[in-house]
Amino acid sequence: MNIKEYISSGILEAYVLDELPSGERAEVEKNLAMYPQLRVELVLIEKTLEGLMQQASIAPRAQLKNNILSSIEEPKQGKVISINKVSSVWRWAAAASVAFAITASYLAFDYRDKWISATIALNTLIDSNQQIAQDYDKVNQRLDKIQGDFSIIENTAFSRIVLKGTENSPTALASVYWNASSQEVFLSIQRLKEISSDNQFQLWALVEGKPVDMGVFDSGFDGLRKMKTIANPGAFAITIEPRGGKPNPTLETLQVIGNVAKG
Amino acid sequence: MGKTSRVYKEEELVTQLKAKNRDALSYLYDHYSAALNGVVMRILKNEDLAEEILQDVFLKIWNRIGSYDPGKGRLFTWMLNLARNQAIDKTRSKEMSKGKKTDDIGNLVGSVDKENASEMFVDSIGLKEVLEKLPNDQKFVVEYLYFKGYTQSELAEEYNIPLGTIKTRLRMAMITLRSLMNIN
Repeated sequence: MNIKEYISSGILEAYVLDELPSGERAEVEKNLAMYPQLRVELVLIEKTLEGLMQQASIAPRAQLKNNILSSIEEPKQGKVISINKVSSVWRWAAAASVAFAITASYLAFDYRDKWISATIALNTLIDSNQQIAQDYDKVNQRLDKIQGDFSIIENTAFSRIVLKGTENSPTALASVYWNASSQEVFLSIQRLKEISSDNQFQLWALVEGKPVDMGVFDSGFDGLRKMKTIANPGAFAITIEPRGGKPNPTLETLQVIGNVAKG
Repeated sequence: MGKTSRVYKEEELVTQLKAKNRDALSYLYDHYSAALNGVVMRILKNEDLAEEILQDVFLKIWNRIGSYDPGKGRLFTWMLNLARNQAIDKTRSKEMSKGKKTDDIGNLVGSVDKENASEMFVDSIGLKEVLEKLPNDQKFVVEYLYFKGYTQSELAEEYNIPLGTIKTRLRMAMITLRSLMNIN
């Protein structure tokens, strides 16, 4: 036999597809046993096919596996009894067990249903519990912040400097808490006007008449905001500057200013 | 049920299946269900039907493993043929009309349930990429024989191609795929 010709006819592929008439199939099987070369070729075709099919994989729905595994029967022993020979008592028994099986299946189905709704309810509860825990966490953080702010306001080491509105913005009002020994500065806003998002407020300290940048901020924060530290401020002021701030204040946009009382 | 942790060699897997070891079936499912489903799903284009067939196929594997003969081919080939034949039988049953067979591969890819859409998309990219590299006549036979549920003789009849030509084209396709996927 010319093995090359045999292979190139595509007969092995047709064999792998399980599409040969039984006579031809038997012949291929006989040849496979006789010619190792054919066997090698067959394995290559099969591996190629498997590779292609793995590329074409689509994962079935997850529960299918359980369905399959639970539906396979354990191997059974014992002989099959011919129905004709069974007495009527056994027929009744059979009927009763069928009825029992149906009832049991119904109950199983019903319980499964209940179990599913219980699972859903449980998941909902777990979700809302998590939500409550998150809210509680937020409240806690806020409380911590308020306590921290309060301890600064209360602390006599901090002097409070009230920054009053200038003629640009007469109703504006802010406060600075400055600690002379630690040089820390905290800012609290009582009232500042709305500005466009291209701009930001910038806090300045005047040290011996020269402005020093104390940091930029957006309005709309609660409580105290920590700014840069400063040693010897004569005054604090807030201007409106392009977002990110500037090295020197734009005096035309001065909003509030307040002097540090010399003690 | 989780994934089986141990790794079986094919020979051992067959022995274990023949001994009715459920763990072996679980392993088999983990490794081959998606590949078998890919074929069944593309032939039937219906997730519920495909699932029904797949369940049936695994039961057949379990019940008929005794008749599987490794001398006649690999385990995967045997399973694939169970799945393919079963799916083809289904297309001939009353539940499905044969008109459905004429979609092109693009529609096939898009026709599967949305639930699996993303997964499907990823999977089909791999398949499409591989198939696109085949010359058209080779791609045609692979698509029709494996993903559209045609038998060789149906294909010959419907498209008026000699059966011998179909066989040699499939042969050429397998050789091309072999080198594309570096199988040796």
